[in-house]
Amino acid sequence: MTKLATIRSSASVIDGSKQAASLTLEADVCIIGTGAGGAWTAATLAQAGLSVLLVEEGGYYTHADFTMREKDSEPRLFQEGMARATKDGGIAIMQGKAVGGTTVVNWTTSFRTPEDVVEHWKKKHAVGGFQYADLVPHYDAIEKRLSIAKVSYGAMNANNRTLYDGCTKLGWQVDTLKRNVYACLQTGFCHLGCPVNAKRSMLVTLIPDAIDAGAKLIFRARADRLEHEGGEVKMLHATLLDGEGRTPTGQSLTVKAKRFVVSGGAINSPALLLRSGLDSGGLVGRRTFLHPTVGSAAVYDEKVEPFRGAPQSAASHHFAHRGDDMGLFLEAVPWYPALAATAVPGFGASHAENMTLAAHTALHIAIGIDGFHDDVPGGTVTLRPSGAPLIDYPITPRLWSAFRFAQKRLAELQLASGAKRVMTLHEQPIAMTGKVDEAAIDAARWEIGSAPVFTAHQMGGCPMGDDPKTSVVRSEDLRHHTVKNLHVVDGSVFPTSLGVNPQQSIYGLARLMATRLAAAK
Amino acid sequence: MIGSRRSFLKKGLFGGLVLALGGTGLALYPSAQVGAPTGPLFALQPASFQVLVAVASRIVTVAGADPVAIAHGVDEALTRVPPEVQVDFNKLLGLLENALPGLLLDARVQPFTRLSPESRDRVLQGWGASRFEIRRTGYQALRKLCLAAYYSEASSWAPLGYEPPSNLNAGAYDDSKAGTPEWLEAQAKADGP
Repeated sequence: MTKLATIRSSASVIDGSKQAASLTLEADVCIIGTGAGGAWTAATLAQAGLSVLLVEEGGYYTHADFTMREKDSEPRLFQEGMARATKDGGIAIMQGKAVGGTTVVNWTTSFRTPEDVVEHWKKKHAVGGFQYADLVPHYDAIEKRLSIAKVSYGAMNANNRTLYDGCTKLGWQVDTLKRNVYACLQTGFCHLGCPVNAKRSMLVTLIPDAIDAGAKLIFRARADRLEHEGGEVKMLHATLLDGEGRTPTGQSLTVKAKRFVVSGGAINSPALLLRSGLDSGGLVGRRTFLHPTVGSAAVYDEKVEPFRGAPQSAASHHFAHRGDDMGLFLEAVPWYPALAATAVPGFGASHAENMTLAAHTALHIAIGIDGFHDDVPGGTVTLRPSGAPLIDYPITPRLWSAFRFAQKRLAELQLASGAKRVMTLHEQPIAMTGKVDEAAIDAARWEIGSAPVFTAHQMGGCPMGDDPKTSVVRSEDLRHHTVKNLHVVDGSVFPTSLGVNPQQSIYGLARLMATRLAAAK
Repeated sequence: MIGSRRSFLKKGLFGGLVLALGGTGLALYPSAQVGAPTGPLFALQPASFQVLVAVASRIVTVAGADPVAIAHGVDEALTRVPPEVQVDFNKLLGLLENALPGLLLDARVQPFTRLSPESRDRVLQGWGASRFEIRRTGYQALRKLCLAAYYSEASSWAPLGYEPPSNLNAGAYDDSKAGTPEWLEAQAKADGP
């Protein structure tokens, strides 16, 4: 059992920013990305006796770096310093970037992939390589390894309890959810990196398991391009970055391996394949799903303080299935001062006045389940001239219509749970007391730059399936259809979004597929 | 479908044209110096920095807020975004400052940095409520970056009733297997009967 404090300085971990010369490394398997997909794949393959090298663009931060201050964490632990957005600025994108990936900064919500989603993939997206039943033993093992357990009603903070109580009052389905924490101290700072290692993220679990089993890891190494020839990847070319990850040091990394696994997440993995000239006839980067999300603020007489306690502990899937309309699920989100300040509309004196209400303000969200309707096809990832990914996600009238519906339901549940005032997050907000003003919500400016939309879940872009005309990797082992030593193992392989927070879905699929790969080695 | 495609194209072209005007540096009146940088700039041009200081002075009007410090915070944040976004952000500030598009669209002849506080507020509100998407999203980018820079500093938290704990790291579990069934069993054995 490895003492966490010793790993970063061990001989198995290389700090790319400190290399005085370019490096060439070799391994049986090179895994690009150390988040939910990469970490689990690395541990499973290393435990099977393969030599594994993990390559990570982000920094190797540990609990000692997690100061519970936005200023220290948000710039370092998120893609583009948490300022990533879609091309037209319509959707703000929160996605992690560090050793451990998004699992370092997520809010610990753990769901198995819904069985009907796996069935949908089989029927509509030719995913025949596994059954839901194949995932179940992996989910069981994952829940043990990561101490995933259900929250009790009494353990919820007020932000989540108001969501739960509002839904209950209205007769809507709601339940407490499961979290991957052990002896959580309820600090409330999952989003900025857990200061006490209670969150069982990849950083403190499967990365150490992989290292214990002999894997090596290099961080501050940005994967530029996979060099391939004759249907086989020969090597990875990467750029070494300075300690903050801002600029190249001038040194490079080359990795030679028998097998390459791309686990950069649903935006960076398609971008790496595109930079490598592997676009699968235009499929790579298409059907990118974001679970586009809108929020509603509610002021209560009593203090809510969403920054204290587990950030997420309840969810409602009452509106997850809406027939021909996009489904939605409801959760609560924490705020910290900078996050709250960007969500509160306006500027100057009125903004400052609303900020003084923050401790009494709950923030509830409706998360759009995209990818299940022909006219909700998601977005695309392409490349900017610099090679960085560019995400384009048009918000169609169909989505705006779902958001109007969502805004009404959020207001309804907040008022039902005792909010004295509900406010939408529009630049010109709709304020409601007593009852939902449906006409005002309908008449609000539902357009980019007036109605904020954000995403904390990224999926798709390298879909799995058994038809090479509609998928990038095979569903039996997530191997690329034409490049025989290349796999993609992360959220990018999902053919649709999930309708639940993604982390455990990625763990489950990665553990299943890595187990198959290990058996076939 | 064709209609929406065409209106998208129109909007896109218009947006491109307006951004290009912002980048020309054509001005009827010279810009004002509103607050000198107190350190090196990383992503912002010196002229853009001046416009941003003028913006920050209106976005955050809380007593004691320092628009120069906020603008430096935004400059630092921009070091994390791709180079193309950095270029666009400089152009956006040029567009806000530049009197030529201001003259065409708003009958404004003064650059933003020369406006009174009330006039700056009116211009920012106009952008926030504009029928042009590029102005609304530009306004939102400016607003959010300035607010995030200000409210990530501890000095801004008192009015919010926000007091995060400090230094909890000493209580951290230092074991990668903490909480697993095997670990719990080992702990129970070590504790003895």
